[in-house]
Amino acid sequence: MLYFTTSFLVFLIAGVFGLLVRLEQSVPGMQVVDFKTYNYLLTGHGVGMLFWWAIAAHIGGFGNFLLPLMIGAKDVAFPRLNALSWWAFFAANVLFLMTLIPGNHIMTMWTGYPPFSLNNDAGVTALYVFVMHLLGASSIATAVNFLVTYITMRAPGYTFFKTNLFVHTLIAANVIQLVGVPSLAGAVTMLFLDKYLGTNFFNPAKGGDPLIYQNIFWFYSHPVVYVQVLPVFGFYSEIIPVFARRPLFGYTSMVFAVWAITAVSFFLWIHHMFVSGVPNWTRVLFSYTTLLIAVPTGIKIFNWMLTLYRGAIHFRSQMLYALGGVFMFLIGGLTGLPLGMVAIDLGVSDSLFVVGHFHYVLGMAITLGILGAVIHWFPLATGKYYPENLGKLSFWLIFAGANIFYFLQMVAGMLGNPRRYPDYPPIPEWTTLHVIQTIGALILGVGVVIFTYGIIKGLKSGEKASDNPWKSPSLEWKVGVPARAHGHGDHPPRVEPDWHPYRYDKEEILK
Amino acid sequence: MEQVIALPYKWWAEAVTVWLIVAVVIYLIVAIPGIYFIYKYRYKPGEREIGDHDFEGHMGLEALLTIIPLLTVIFLATYSFTIFKKQRTVPDGAMTIKVTAFMWGWQFDYLDENGKVIKTVVTGYHANDYNLQEFEKPVIPAGKPIRALLTSMDVIHSFFVLPARITEDMVPGRTTYLWFQINKPGEYWVFCREYCGTGHSHMFTKLKVVPPEQFTAWLYGKNEVAIKSNNKEVAR
Ligand code: HEM
Ligand SMILES: [Cu+2]
Ligand SMILES: [Cu+2]
Repeated sequence: MLYFTTSFLVFLIAGVFGLLVRLEQSVPGMQVVDFKTYNYLLTGHGVGMLFWWAIAAHIGGFGNFLLPLMIGAKDVAFPRLNALSWWAFFAANVLFLMTLIPGNHIMTMWTGYPPFSLNNDAGVTALYVFVMHLLGASSIATAVNFLVTYITMRAPGYTFFKTNLFVHTLIAANVIQLVGVPSLAGAVTMLFLDKYLGTNFFNPAKGGDPLIYQNIFWFYSHPVVYVQVLPVFGFYSEIIPVFARRPLFGYTSMVFAVWAITAVSFFLWIHHMFVSGVPNWTRVLFSYTTLLIAVPTGIKIFNWMLTLYRGAIHFRSQMLYALGGVFMFLIGGLTGLPLGMVAIDLGVSDSLFVVGHFHYVLGMAITLGILGAVIHWFPLATGKYYPENLGKLSFWLIFAGANIFYFLQMVAGMLGNPRRYPDYPPIPEWTTLHVIQTIGALILGVGVVIFTYGIIKGLKSGEKASDNPWKSPSLEWKVGVPARAHGHGDHPPRVEPDWHPYRYDKEEILK
Repeated sequence: MEQVIALPYKWWAEAVTVWLIVAVVIYLIVAIPGIYFIYKYRYKPGEREIGDHDFEGHMGLEALLTIIPLLTVIFLATYSFTIFKKQRTVPDGAMTIKVTAFMWGWQFDYLDENGKVIKTVVTGYHANDYNLQEFEKPVIPAGKPIRALLTSMDVIHSFFVLPARITEDMVPGRTTYLWFQINKPGEYWVFCREYCGTGHSHMFTKLKVVPPEQFTAWLYGKNEVAIKSNNKEVAR
């Protein structure tokens, strides 16, 4: 709960940063902020959104809450380790807020590439390094805790092939964290040593090489997008069957797809370096591996669609969020193909096309999934319903605004507009695209505000929820509403041989 | 004969078209049935209240939905490979220019066959506008392939020739390369596409493309050549 609240607050702050960035780009010239403030806002936006929102909201927030409930356990395996992880996360927050102080700005962008980050123009790189370390420590503690919880604390009969997809995706994401985070930590540590203690890992004048950083950095930071997106796939897989009133189509292939994505995710990182000067043959090789990941991802999309087939679909707001998220992800996936095709990437690398693409995936598929999950599990956490009308209204505003914004951002990128540009030459087509994008972003912003208001309203005066309001067979609803502090307590629920988290009572009707 | 304004832009645009067709087809294949299901199978009281519980999976269908995407991505990657070869293979007879980046501009060194510098152009940093003086614009001959050898003096920058849609990073301590060719005389944007600090969005220049005779005169002459006034500025 604490995790989620913090994540959500940083999401709002980073959202405001994003809007300021967007407003500055509306028309050529500098109107809203100066270059340095802009670079700080963009860095803060990227770091905040990626590490607080897209990772911490669902892993820290939902993971801690749902994992024990879904597997029929009392709590996570190591409650104290969990507390430690939370305090590391909290300390990272304090440092993140400290960067707001003028003079403490970090302007490295979230990627922190040297030698730029070693330059004084980049601001206080140390803050960036410490934020990453604290978040990394927190993530590793969480990952260990979750893996042990899953392995040792499942209710008897709750087997691998009866595991909720959210649990599969959560565990897969944490496996990636465990393997990858040390690599990121290494990269930023070397950065710190270079900048403040005079080592020369990345200094070409003294035999270092800046591309080493990029390799180590992306070895983690590419898989991290799957850390971010996998649990959201889990959310879709939990929400869609409930409101289609039928079992998830192709459960087994979904499970294999999750683990295939996890494995392949470590073999793609060079696609972030297609124009960095690495040898031509590596670019081609990684072009193949990159496109390969589209296959398991495609399986998931097909299966969600086929789950709708012959269902009885209810359009509750969380279902809208989930279906909207799948559609955004479809566009995000299809616009990822040209970035994997090295020939096209040479022309759009580091352009707004890339930014538009990842906002479809990260910005929207993930955000819609998380917001849908908030509505879905709101009764379990609070004992009340999220106001349905505000849920629907905020969904349509966010969905419409985001599509206007990010689609045109991709068009601008195809026309050649570079990314991380506060200003650009007054090319008429570009200006038109930017003005309309800003309108889209404002609509999106209004949607987020309404969603936030819905949370407050739901908490204060929401309608009291009934037990198992969505009539789901999944175990987390067996503890009653709102969930008790000790989950299933010392008596794990009975898991019958024919039980499955997506198999409803055939006669049961959801009103 | 169709007019090719720039290379490798032509092939890049072909690749974009191929991708776009594939993407739109996939989108329609997924979205149309999806939207149809959403419409057809919605909950209707008294009529459609519970979903069908027998269709939990279908081996054949699932296998098909794995194999078709697999073949599609192998096709796309292989096709991209053939284009990539053209983008990265410098044609014979290309002229070499050495470009060195700094915060926030470029130095263009024109080399002769022996690698000796004939002429140098340095672009300035203009923090407040996108106008350039004539002497800050690098000049290249129309219709001739140019090989750019790229490096940087300080941080990582990038060399993006907009009309040719080709980028390559400029890394301190390394020399990277790209090649391009522009057939139509005019002035064309060049931008930095790797984040390099305060001046990043104002790290730009304009390539001045002139007929080859004019280029030779410029390269060996002392004075600037004014481009024929009827050549309107082309900003693509
Ligand atoms: C209120 C909604 C949002 C707005 C208005 C917004 C706006 C923007 C803008 C204008 C840029 C800069 C593009 C450029 O010139 O390079 C940007 C970059 C970025 N955004 Fe967002 N965005 C939003 C939501 C999100 C979300 C939800 C995420 C992730 C979960 C996200 C992640 C990023 C990242 C990683 C960058 C790149 C930062 C960098 O270049 O270092 N954004 N955003
Ligand atoms: Cu630059
Ligand atoms: Cu730059």
